[in-house]
Amino acid sequence: MATVNEVIDTTIDDPGNRTPLVIGGHDYGSITRLVCGINESKTPIAWYIGMLMSLSLLGMLGALVGYLIFTGVGVWGNNNPVYWGFPIVNFVFWVGIGHAGTLISAILFIFRQNWRTSINRFAEAMTIFAVVCAGLFPAIHIGRVWVFYWLFPLPSLQLAMWPQFRSPLLWDVFAVSTYATVSLIFWYTGMIPDLATLRDRTNNKILRIVYSILSLGWTGSARAWSRYEKAYTLFAALAAPLVLSVHTIVSFDFAVSQLPGWHTTIFPPYFVAGAVFSGFGMVLTLMVPARQWFGLKDVVTLRHLENVCKILLATGSMVGYAYAMEFFIAWYGGNMYEQFAFINRAFGPYWWAYWIMVSCNVISPQLFWFKKCRTTPWLMFVISIFVNIGMWFERFVITVTSLARDFLPSSWGMFEPTPVDYGMLIGSFGLFFTLFLLFVRFGPIVAMAEVKSVMPHPHSPVHDDPHAAADHA
Amino acid sequence: MSQEANNTEPKLLGLMAQFDDPDSLLAACEKVRKAGYTKTDAYTPFPLHGIDEALGIKPTILPWIVLTLGIMGGFAGLGLQYVTNAEWYPFIISAKPVWSLPANIPVIFELVILHAAIAVFIGMLFLNKLPTFSNPLFRVPEFARATDDKFFLTIDVNDDKYKPNKTRDLLDGCVGQTGVIEVFEDPSPAELPKIIKFIGIGATVCALIPPILLWRAYYQTSTVPRINPIRDMDIQLRGDTQTVSPVFADGRTMRPRIPGTVARGDWVDPIMLTGIVPEVGEQNVIFLQDEEAPVEGDEKPAEEEKPAEDKPAEEKPADENPEADKPMAEEKPAEDKPAEGDAPAQPEEPEPNWVKIAPISVTRATLERGRNRYNIYCSVCHGLAGDGDGLVAQRALQLEQPTWIPPTNLHTDYLLTQPDGKLYNTITHGIRKMKGYGDQIPAEDRWAIVTYVRALQKTRTGTPEEIPAVEMKELEIKGQ
Repeated sequence: MATVNEVIDTTIDDPGNRTPLVIGGHDYGSITRLVCGINESKTPIAWYIGMLMSLSLLGMLGALVGYLIFTGVGVWGNNNPVYWGFPIVNFVFWVGIGHAGTLISAILFIFRQNWRTSINRFAEAMTIFAVVCAGLFPAIHIGRVWVFYWLFPLPSLQLAMWPQFRSPLLWDVFAVSTYATVSLIFWYTGMIPDLATLRDRTNNKILRIVYSILSLGWTGSARAWSRYEKAYTLFAALAAPLVLSVHTIVSFDFAVSQLPGWHTTIFPPYFVAGAVFSGFGMVLTLMVPARQWFGLKDVVTLRHLENVCKILLATGSMVGYAYAMEFFIAWYGGNMYEQFAFINRAFGPYWWAYWIMVSCNVISPQLFWFKKCRTTPWLMFVISIFVNIGMWFERFVITVTSLARDFLPSSWGMFEPTPVDYGMLIGSFGLFFTLFLLFVRFGPIVAMAEVKSVMPHPHSPVHDDPHAAADHA
Repeated sequence: MSQEANNTEPKLLGLMAQFDDPDSLLAACEKVRKAGYTKTDAYTPFPLHGIDEALGIKPTILPWIVLTLGIMGGFAGLGLQYVTNAEWYPFIISAKPVWSLPANIPVIFELVILHAAIAVFIGMLFLNKLPTFSNPLFRVPEFARATDDKFFLTIDVNDDKYKPNKTRDLLDGCVGQTGVIEVFEDPSPAELPKIIKFIGIGATVCALIPPILLWRAYYQTSTVPRINPIRDMDIQLRGDTQTVSPVFADGRTMRPRIPGTVARGDWVDPIMLTGIVPEVGEQNVIFLQDEEAPVEGDEKPAEEEKPAEDKPAEEKPADENPEADKPMAEEKPAEDKPAEGDAPAQPEEPEPNWVKIAPISVTRATLERGRNRYNIYCSVCHGLAGDGDGLVAQRALQLEQPTWIPPTNLHTDYLLTQPDGKLYNTITHGIRKMKGYGDQIPAEDRWAIVTYVRALQKTRTGTPEEIPAVEMKELEIKGQ
């Protein structure tokens, strides 16, 4: 049981020898110092610059939301016949990104993929912030924002109405708010031990109080760990079907309607695959620079990135299959409206959006067949940006092309986004990165306790001592 | 680590051994358990596999709590949807059934997950007695590394097996142990400082004020308009009835109908509406407005006294308050003044082309309707049988009102020979002191009254021959 081997290239599979998940000869204490050091060191200038940029974008978003609320949804480009424009595109885009975190934490946990421990905290934080961005758009698109709570089943003395449970839009409210709640408590539960670590290390009085409150008095008692682990398993078991259900239900928003191009049964699996794809794309976008800047290369090894690339390749190909299958069904189904919808999608007025989508989502991940591409961080980063762009365009293509070319040629029309539309899309990134930068500054960005639990046990005097060994027997 | 023992020696709570590696801790746990200790615990920076067995920790009941809450969540989702959509607000939308299980599955599923996940979270914290912000262990400086890279094993002094020296020796003898520490009770008072209590109570009271004010405002009446922070559609850029408008020259917000127009949906056959057959080429719409017509028109003829039951004959109820109807009398000028012996009467105008027979199909239902309306609107003056002896008329005679014009007896010849259209017109626009009922009684009902009046008249003028044989027989039987 030697200590950690000095493995430089963890991407080479060595049969019979488990590839270490943490390299660089770390022990428990050095992992703590490595991760907590990110929070404890002096705030780097780059962080301030990033924060300034994010905050200005966030400020722009806030101003635009205020303008929208005071003026009305007419400031968007949503109009006859494309009533669902950027807001729903952005909503689905962000919800999709929000899938990777819980997927990594829950589904990879159930499959005992221990490599998830290095990236799950990071990805879960990304999930929460993406869901916050997603939740913004339905909340502001309703016109009278101050009565947004009518979306929820709350008794009201004034309304002779009630949410209508047969509508996919209401299922969506339940799915997304359940997902946001469960992701949040899952993420927080996972953070409690690490917050306790930060609490026990900090010298700053105010931070100590904050971390003390947040860590709820966690001591690391074996009894507490026992229940905690059970709770974590239960969370994973609950979150795994949840994460699949959320994008399924989001796809119902489209699939349950009768519009050609939306009314297809392939939507739920296709949306889920797309969500996983976009979520992992965003994980890569954030992870590659973060591991560089925060010196986390020992914890988030090249092998971790390679695994993410493989998932991107798999899900990107699934999405490509779904695109192809939609065309096949349109032809095979023999429905002229459906056939028109898809031909129009690829060769109609929005052909450019369709081909951006295909090249970003289907073609660019194919580079990951080559090991060189899977192990070159800057290249992954570039491809992951393409994936993000492609997945945004996927939602744009689905939403806009179908609405713009309805059954009746007399009601055809093009969608013209306004500057407010673009501003809100860009501003939502400001919201996302503001939250993310705050998290990397003040939160434990790597699940220390979990990483330690998958590290090999250090040298122990127990095994050297014949007396103790006898005691053990 | 003994805290500097202030005045009193702090109470010893237990002993704690520190280890640098997990395997030594596991071995020590095993050893302590075998020695019979039960009030033990281990503290590790990460979940240590095998420690449950080593310490003898029983499996948690958390899964059962989660299962229960999950099932409850499912029923809550089902019940919520059934009660609200099928019972309380059964709206039919897109022709979907108000209650359909397949459409309810997504929400049920989400609520199962939501309830179960919250149960996991709350249940885990509750079973672990979290949050607990005060813990004597936190006063031990070495313990700060329990969340970093050190491992600890504690034995409580309350353990049955606990013997001050023996227990200490046991821990000292553990392989890999890097120090045995005594844990003392927190010497600071357990009570909250007074100031925090006061702030807490004060904050709670202050926090209650807004909801109480809201609640009070909700249930109390007030003489001032309610505060309307979110105006929704309560206040709009629109003119309300009975308000002044700056837009129109006459200052009225309510606009009169533009002459020559018919409001959408208000079109009625002019014959049906007026009881007059229009001349060929005459525009129908002319009948429908032009009501600017001289209001005085028929106020004049209605001079005092003179009433005499059978004289002028053609009017209907006279009003108890003659003053009231001036504005209402808005009929076409001329009209039915002609035959009047009394009035000064304006220059004669030709009689309109009255409809002879009511332009509605007369059935038993029509007559019943006519009777019903007649008894409500007409009988108070004209009497139930049409003799002009309604209660109002009787009372007016008793009071000897000088301006009172007794209502007409409907059985006079003048009325018997009148065309239906004229009778209808009288009901609509009134005559002399009788006000028009056109605003109150819909056209079909006015025609129904006309037919009922005809039926009343028939009761005086009819002959036995006109009675159908069957009914005659019945009458004979009753008569005997």
